[in-house]
Amino acid sequence: MPVDSNAERPAGNLAELRLQIGRLQRSVRAPPPAVISLCDRIDRTLPSHGLARASVHEVLAADPGAAIGLCSLILGRAAGAVVWIGSDPDVWPQGLAAFGLLSDRLVLVDVRRSRDGLWAFEEALRSPGVAAAVLVVDRQLPDLIAGRRLQLAAEAGGGIGLLLLPDTELSPPSAARTRWRVGAALGQRCGDPCWSLSLLRCSGARPAKWTVTWNRVTGVLGVTPALPTEMLVTAMSGGGQH
Amino acid sequence: MSSRRFLVLHLPMLATDRIHEREPDVRNLPVATWTTQNSRRVLVSVSAPGTTLRSGQPLADAQAMHPGLVLHPADPQADLAFLNRLALWALRFTPLVSSDPPDDLVLDVTGCTDLHGGEAGLLRKVSAALLQGGIAVIAVSAGVGDAAAVLARSGHHGRIVPPGAELAAIAGLPLGKLRLQPDCLAGLHRLGLLTIGDALRQPRAPLMRRFGRQLIDVLDAVTGERPRPLPTVRPPPVFLVARTFLEPIVTRPAIDQALDDLLEQLCPELAQAGQGARQMTLRAFRVDRDVQEVTIGTGLPTRLPAHLRRLFADKLGQLEPDLGFERITLQANVVNAWDATQEAMTSSDAGPGRHQQALVQLLDRLSQRLPVWRLAPGASHWPERSVTRTDPFTPVASFSTRSPLPMPVRLRRRPLRLMVTALVPDGPPVQICLDGKVHHIAWADGPERIEPEWWRDPADRRNRDYYRVELESGARLWVARAGARFSDQPPRWFLHGYLP
Repeated sequence: MPVDSNAERPAGNLAELRLQIGRLQRSVRAPPPAVISLCDRIDRTLPSHGLARASVHEVLAADPGAAIGLCSLILGRAAGAVVWIGSDPDVWPQGLAAFGLLSDRLVLVDVRRSRDGLWAFEEALRSPGVAAAVLVVDRQLPDLIAGRRLQLAAEAGGGIGLLLLPDTELSPPSAARTRWRVGAALGQRCGDPCWSLSLLRCSGARPAKWTVTWNRVTGVLGVTPALPTEMLVTAMSGGGQH
Repeated sequence: MSSRRFLVLHLPMLATDRIHEREPDVRNLPVATWTTQNSRRVLVSVSAPGTTLRSGQPLADAQAMHPGLVLHPADPQADLAFLNRLALWALRFTPLVSSDPPDDLVLDVTGCTDLHGGEAGLLRKVSAALLQGGIAVIAVSAGVGDAAAVLARSGHHGRIVPPGAELAAIAGLPLGKLRLQPDCLAGLHRLGLLTIGDALRQPRAPLMRRFGRQLIDVLDAVTGERPRPLPTVRPPPVFLVARTFLEPIVTRPAIDQALDDLLEQLCPELAQAGQGARQMTLRAFRVDRDVQEVTIGTGLPTRLPAHLRRLFADKLGQLEPDLGFERITLQANVVNAWDATQEAMTSSDAGPGRHQQALVQLLDRLSQRLPVWRLAPGASHWPERSVTRTDPFTPVASFSTRSPLPMPVRLRRRPLRLMVTALVPDGPPVQICLDGKVHHIAWADGPERIEPEWWRDPADRRNRDYYRVELESGARLWVARAGARFSDQPPRWFLHGYLP
């Protein structure tokens, strides 16, 4: 990229160029992206300093409980109506409420066919009344064209979209802004959830891996310091949750 | 005497007309339907002009006399469906149409006649339209529906009885034209009562004592003292707009355009009345007297044409415009009050009201195609019953956020049977077998005992001991042991939920 070769330019010019390229890549209007903050350490790694709204993010679920926990944490911080789309969704509202996702904000949609799921997800993302939408994909992963449509819909609506995918070795290319893998990690006995969180793909950031603990009392996500953190992994070899 | 006017259409050849319509190639042949009566096959409905065939004739005789007779078994269900279809078709003349099986249609045309050139003009128009489709009809107009029906059954086609003259018109007709039970009719004949006028002149009390309530009901209905209530084929709409086309329309863009025009017409009417629609029906009248309906529902009252158009867009594909639609109507079946202030507030570009409106419109669109619900707390500690599904448009109460123990984020619809090893029968699990692999358990927290609800559970339902366990891989599960109550049976272990 030409941006990297012009390292001697002043920082202001560099930021402007980045913005220009971002504008070319995404859509004509590029408002400053609103973000959802995860925790300080992870936010600093991401180019937008947080999980960007008005875009679609992929979450590979290495462990069902950890994946839904992370999703509901993001959705709880999104502050607004949430549409959860899946094939007979069996999420349990008492567990979600602990993450700040209260049931008066949550609407569930049952889809039997993957086409219906993509349609409902796109409609929900396009609506300005929805702060966040989740599509749980069981079998058929959305292809690149569908992913691009979803990204454009999210840019039009302004909400954050989460694609909850099964954890497969062969993950196809996608138009999502980031791709994460979340698995369970062995935590302390006190009962606070502990996850291994890998950033597999993100434009403008390097892949990274953390072990995070969510404090149930304060509601703060923190990187666990005792374990080796922020070790760089390649996208191919990352993901061992054992 | 009320000032209502009824147009009764008696369809004497309903069954054979139905066969003629379904099979146009037998149109010029004699047609009859037959049924089995006491192990004899007899004709029921006959359409054979120029022959002496009649209803009630044995089938064998008829076939011997006319070998070319086209025979079909009688099908009262299909006849009734055909009658109802014609009743829907007649909705174009008046919104109050009733089908009076087996072979009558009753149209309440009060106030509708001026649109069709008076009562005589309407009568001509209706019978001409039916005759053009090959359906024999005897139409009579009167101020009492049952009186008109009796006249129609007696063959007085085209008769228009002026208001107040119904009694005189029917007095001379035979009692057999009333729909009476055969033994009741025979009893009346034995008394020498042959015409309707004869029966009406008799004192009511002895007639009631001898023949029961049913005869009095029929007589009162035919005089108009106590009219017989007939359910209309569709409830009369509150708001209705219609569009009739010079040329039948076939293509989807033409139908969309017609819907746009109708919505542009209907929504201002709703706005003027301060109402919003909760349910709307689009009714398309095909040229071959078939009527198709498309209904949409909304969660909250609305009258925004763009929103309603999107709701209809998905469903208009169900229409089958075979030879084309000649008329399309749009009606609001259910309306609720909707203030103009709300509309003014939500039509501005910003504010929380607009977001709320956008969410409601999204839920409307989603719920046209897919099941949509919210979760509400249920009054139970039994896990499956502590969450209930509710309508997405009603506000729901929140679950408590601060439970002392971590709760599962996902509960399996069907708990998964587990093989579990425990040190002691009542103790926590030490290792479990999941997905064909043995996992050692890092720690287990429990038990949390939940007893079955004796007031609604079967008596042999087992209580459950829930454990929160963490495997050595870090996965955290909510497992249950069912059945500590019956010590003679081994406990069964299930995976019920996933902890975050």
